[in-house]
Parts: sequence; C-alpha cells; structure tokens
Amino acid sequence: MRDAFSLTYRNIKERKARAALTILGIMVGIGAVVALISIGFGMEESITGELVEMADVIMVTPMRMELGSIGAFGSFTGRDLEAVDRIAGVKDAVAMRGKMEEVEYKGGKFMVQVIGTDPKDVGALFGAMVKPEEGRYLKANDHKTCTIGYSIANDYFDDEIGVNDRITINGSKFRVVGVLEKQGGFRSETDSAIYVTARDSMSILNNEDISTIFVRVRNIADAEEIATEIEERIDDNHKLDDFTSAMTMGSAIEQMESIFGIVQVVLIAIASISLIVAAMGIMNTILMSVMERTHEIGVMKAIGAKNRNILFLFLLEAGVVSAIGGVCGCIVGVIGAHAISFGIQTLFDVEIAAIVKPEVLLGGVAVAMLVGIISGLYPARKASKMSPVEAVRYE
Amino acid sequence: MIRTENLTKVYQMGDAEVYALHDVNLDIQDGEFIAIIGPSGSGKSTLLNLIGCLDKPTSGAVFIDGINTGKLNENGLAEIRRRKIGFIFQQFNLVHTLNALENVALPMFFAGVKRETRLKRAEELLAKVGLGDRIYHKPSEMSGGQQQRVAIARALSNDPEVVIGDEPTGNVDTETGNTIMGLLEGLNKEGRTIIVVTHDAEIAARAGRTKRMRDGKVLD
Repeated sequence: MRDAFSLTYRNIKERKARAALTILGIMVGIGAVVALISIGFGMEESITGELVEMADVIMVTPMRMELGSIGAFGSFTGRDLEAVDRIAGVKDAVAMRGKMEEVEYKGGKFMVQVIGTDPKDVGALFGAMVKPEEGRYLKANDHKTCTIGYSIANDYFDDEIGVNDRITINGSKFRVVGVLEKQGGFRSETDSAIYVTARDSMSILNNEDISTIFVRVRNIADAEEIATEIEERIDDNHKLDDFTSAMTMGSAIEQMESIFGIVQVVLIAIASISLIVAAMGIMNTILMSVMERTHEIGVMKAIGAKNRNILFLFLLEAGVVSAIGGVCGCIVGVIGAHAISFGIQTLFDVEIAAIVKPEVLLGGVAVAMLVGIISGLYPARKASKMSPVEAVRYE
Repeated sequence: MIRTENLTKVYQMGDAEVYALHDVNLDIQDGEFIAIIGPSGSGKSTLLNLIGCLDKPTSGAVFIDGINTGKLNENGLAEIRRRKIGFIFQQFNLVHTLNALENVALPMFFAGVKRETRLKRAEELLAKVGLGDRIYHKPSEMSGGQQQRVAIARALSNDPEVVIGDEPTGNVDTETGNTIMGLLEGLNKEGRTIIVVTHDAEIAARAGRTKRMRDGKVLD
C-alpha cells in the first residue's frame, strides 16, 4: 500500500501543473458547496435563533400575512385588543399603533414609523430583548416623550440625537427619554422607529388605528389554538372572513426554515455544477495519464501486474488527487464562508455567522473522493484492459 | 518445459491476413539456453510474446509446464508471467519515476510480497548484477548497460524458472553486451531456462542451441 501511494505520489509529482489544475477544479467545487452550506446554517441559526426567543409570542396583523408579501390592509380597534386580552391563556396583549409621520430635528425632515404602545405592556413583551442604550423606557404617565431606535439617533439626521433632545413629530415637540440598543437582523425595524405612549399616539398624533397586536401566551403548547381563536374573535368583530392573521412564532420559524431549505438546495445545486465540471477534469487528467503511461502499463503487465493491480493504481491516483482537492476545498470553503459572513455584515449590517459543522467538512472530502473515484473508473478500467503486448509496443 | 504446438499468429492488415507465425513447433527443455535468430519481421518477437504469455495465439498452443496457456484468462496469464517468467526488453523498459531498488521490487509488489522482504531481495539482486552502489539511482541517471542490468535484476525478482530476453543487447555497446550475456549465462548455470531473441550471430553463438526463423517459420 505504501509503495502504491509512493508510486501515485511520484506520478502526480511528475505532472505537477496538471495535477494542480485538477485539484483546483475540485477545490472550487467543494469550496463553494462547503461555504454555501455553512452560510446557510448561519442564516437559519441567526433568524430562527431570534425567533426562538419569542417562541411564546403570537403576532396578529390585519391581513393574511405570508412571509415575503408586503403591505397590510385595514387595522384593528381598541375593541379587538380587549377581545384578544379576554381569551383564556393570553398573558399579555400589546397593541402597536404604527404610522409613518414627518419627524423633524434641527432642520432635517424624514418620514419615520412612529409606534404608539402601552409602556407597561411593551416592557412585559420585549423588555428582555430590547434594552435602552441610553436613558430609559417610556413610562405609563409620560407625556410628549419618546424613545428612539438606534438608527434614528445616529444615522438619520446630521446631528446625533441624545437623551433630553427634542424632536418634532407631526408638528408637536417630543422629548427623547431613551435611545434603544442597536438590534439589527430580524429586528432591525426597531432601529428605525420612534416609540411614543399609546395615549400620545391617539391624542396628539390622531392615530387610533392598531396595526399589530403582539400576544404573549402562558403556555407555548396552546399557541396554535389561541392563534385560531384570536382570528375568529377579531373576524367576528369586523364581520369579515379571513381578515385577521395570527401567526405564532413557531409557524414563522417553520416557514423560514422551509424557505431557507429551498434557497439552500438551489444554491448547492448551482455549486454542484462546478463539481460536475471538476469531475470531468479528473476524468480528463486520468485519461491523459493513462495514455501517457500506456507503455508503462504494458511493462507492468509484462512483469506480472494483474488487471486489478493496474485498476487500483489509477483509481488511487484519482482518489488522491480528489482527496487533496477536497481537503483544500474545505479550507477554502471555511475561509469563504467567513468572508461571505463578513461581507454581509459590512454591506447589510446583518450578523450571519458562518457555522462550520465537522460533518459538512467530512462530507466534502468524501464527496470529492467519490466524484474522483467515479470519474477515475472509466480511464482506470481502460488502462487495466490494455493488451500487454500492444501497450509495451506503444511509444 | 515449454512446448509450442502448431503455433500460429495472424494479423489482419486491411483485407490481407499476415502470418506473423505459421505452425511453429518448438520444444524448449528446462535449463536450456536457446537463442532465436532471424531478420526483423521474421516473427521471433511474436514467438517470444506468445511464450511469455503477453499475447494469445490465433491458433495452436503454448504449453508451459504442461499448462495450455491458451486456456487461461487474463489473470491466469498474469499469474504465469509473474511466477514463472522474467522479461528483459531491448528498451530496458524501467519505470522512470522509480529508482533502481523500487524497479526491481515492483514485480514483488504485484505478487504481494511484504515490503521489507522485497526491498531486501531487490537489494541482493542489484548487488548480484553489480549495481549494489547504485540502488537509489533513477533510470535517467544510469547508462544503458546499467539500466539493462537493473532490468535483469527485475526479471529475477520473483525467482522465475524462465528468463526471456527480446534483443537484450540490442541497445548497448559490444562490451556491455558481453557483460549482459555473461549475466544470462550465469543465470543459466543456476538452472534457469534462458530464451533470447537476437539478430546478432555472435550473441547467438553463446547460447546452447540456436534456432533460425524466417517468414514466421522456424527453419532448423
């Protein structure tokens, strides 16, 4: 075995450039697949990870919401909120009165999502996840005050907005009492929103319409059942069918996972094309090697090599070349995954870690070897079947 | 003992059939040193390839120790080549990526001999052909005569009863040719059967028996 390897090693060494190109082909293929799988795991983890924190939350919106669709129609009323709150198993129900408003600060003007909430309820619902970086949360008896998202404070206006600065929302002055921590990712909406109390939202901004109700349930196991009940109660209030969509985070996670599953399969399928090209590269390399060494094959047969000895030597060569390619591919894939992760972070400000699983790396090398040996099979068989007398005569 | 019986090899050249060998009957006794001499195209190499189990006859048969080699499959033929026959070629035909020691050990590798055993034996064989100090040299670092001596050592590695040489002195100068013939004579004295093909009458004269060939037939 050791000598077989040494023979293979020397044959590869003799045609360094060609072997290197073949290895490169495999490396690119395996690298692409490994990188995409690792990033795929990272995406799934970062999104479902955030959602898992909110596993006992039901999001109620006035539409049949599917992930990926944009826009909502209609809105809820205070009566709907009360109805939801009365359902058994509901721990907290929080209304969000969201509306785009003109916000002005030191001469700069922007249309910003202003959300009216009940401070007590919001604390119950999101307190553990969204913390103020500076200042404090809204309080129930606050008047004409607001907390602002991280991007509003730092990015929107020329001057940074800090605690106790005053901003103008739809013509009324509001004092900033808190700046929220940067959220990014799935909760990045929070960064570019301004929060006021429900009372101010209704009285000063004339915004009574509830755009979203967040519900926290006592027992996650009942979430689906409660979601159905919420939909029925609100639909009854409005005398409409299918007006309300109550989505549990569990089903949101499932939807996300199925979408990411499809995206990942498509990406891997594309990356696999490069593997097919690499397979042809291996076949070509081994075929060339067989042709060049026809004479040598003849000599080996003349001195007693059996067909399977020859077959083994060429398969070994294919296997070794592709295994090296596979290992290099894994290294490149890991580096690539981290690079993509860094790129996404820099460009889109979304944190997606590259999750490298050992089984993916082992699988990468195994797939490379499998591809190599399968592509090596045809040329190796060709070599093993050569007539010794004709092969010896071949120069 | 090697015996050929109406051994015939026909090559198809377009529409024409060319008889490379025509009804050759030849007996070679164990321990004999036989030279087959004849001009090129006389069929002597074809005869050698058939005796050496590198090729199959169109008709007729080769018997080696009573075994009809025509009845063997490819693996069976490989087995005979490996166990009973050592081949020496005019072009030496060493594996150029391997050094002398590894070249000599290669047939033992195919025979499944343990690594230590085969390296030890290869070293002994190289010493026997006078190349004990060149075992790690690659073929490209050796003269033609030295390469042919490596090839002889390789032919002996599985301790065959028969050594076949296809113009073994054809590519070396006269003095080296004499050395090589000397080695073959030594092998013959050890009891091995030596079959050599040549077109050099002087070389042939050193064999115990000479057979002439012309147009695919053995003449006398």
